[in-house]
Amino acid sequence: MDGTARGHATVAAAALPVAAAIGVFGVVYGAVAHPVLGGELTVVSSIAMFSGAAQFTMVGLLASHATAGAVVVAVVPLALRHIPLGALVQHRLAPGRVRRAVVSSLFLTDETVGLALTRQAPAARTMAITGGLAYIAWVVGTAAGVAGASIGAAEEVAAALFPVLFIGLAAVTASTPRDAVRAAGAGAAAAALLIAAPAAGVLGALAVAIAVTCVGVRR
Amino acid sequence: MSNAALVAAVTVITVGSRIVATAVLPTPHGATAEVVRRLPAPLFAAMAALSLVGSDQRGTPALVAAAAAVAVAGRRSLLLVVIAGLAGYLLAEAVR
Repeated sequence: MDGTARGHATVAAAALPVAAAIGVFGVVYGAVAHPVLGGELTVVSSIAMFSGAAQFTMVGLLASHATAGAVVVAVVPLALRHIPLGALVQHRLAPGRVRRAVVSSLFLTDETVGLALTRQAPAARTMAITGGLAYIAWVVGTAAGVAGASIGAAEEVAAALFPVLFIGLAAVTASTPRDAVRAAGAGAAAAALLIAAPAAGVLGALAVAIAVTCVGVRR
Repeated sequence: MSNAALVAAVTVITVGSRIVATAVLPTPHGATAEVVRRLPAPLFAAMAALSLVGSDQRGTPALVAAAAAVAVAGRRSLLLVVIAGLAGYLLAEAVR
């Protein structure tokens, strides 16, 4: 196996647990969305969006008879999360090569960015491999959920795996003791905020992370 | 608005925000670049808190899994953190 093939295999090995967890949630999404959107549109939504947060929000609101406007208003804050994620990997995606950046952006998720930041391999390649595996798992899982598949206790394991994964990504990207202190502070502050005000949601967590990061930065 | 049109609208928001963030916005400079350099660890820590606290479906095993992951986070190994988290989860499930 040459160096490039070994690099691909290493990235794929790191991505497989993530893809497996995403596939489990795909099954759950397919089962939940099927009665709301119908089978075909449920699968189409996963093929087109590849965004668990946006899709679960959309289906959850539609199931509770929310208007289309309410769904759009709820999805916009989730989409804003892509701004800092994109900034983190932008300079690693061969600056100036817009087409490559656009293709990579289709796989822009918390998990793919985290793995891209922590791997030696080029970010575009890491995002393509991890994003591709996660995308396939998400779409296949959705189709299986629509078809009536059941995953039992695996859903709880997958749900528990996401906080663990983010903790691991925070640990790996904390390259200095100060980074580690900032990460611990952001995690504790975000948890406190979300316990006190659950409605703060993803925007609240994002604001806490940015506020903690800005402490001590000279203008 | 039909469900198909709504799916199309949410797709435009989701995919469009990814493309804008990655391929359209300018590369950060100066103080903004310093914030971006420092951001990953606090951002992922905040996302961990969100995925742990921001859902009413998390029970004791998930909390134990997160605690086990934090306990080995200092080793800075993603694989080790995931293994520790899974071990914590399975242990909590076994004694529950």
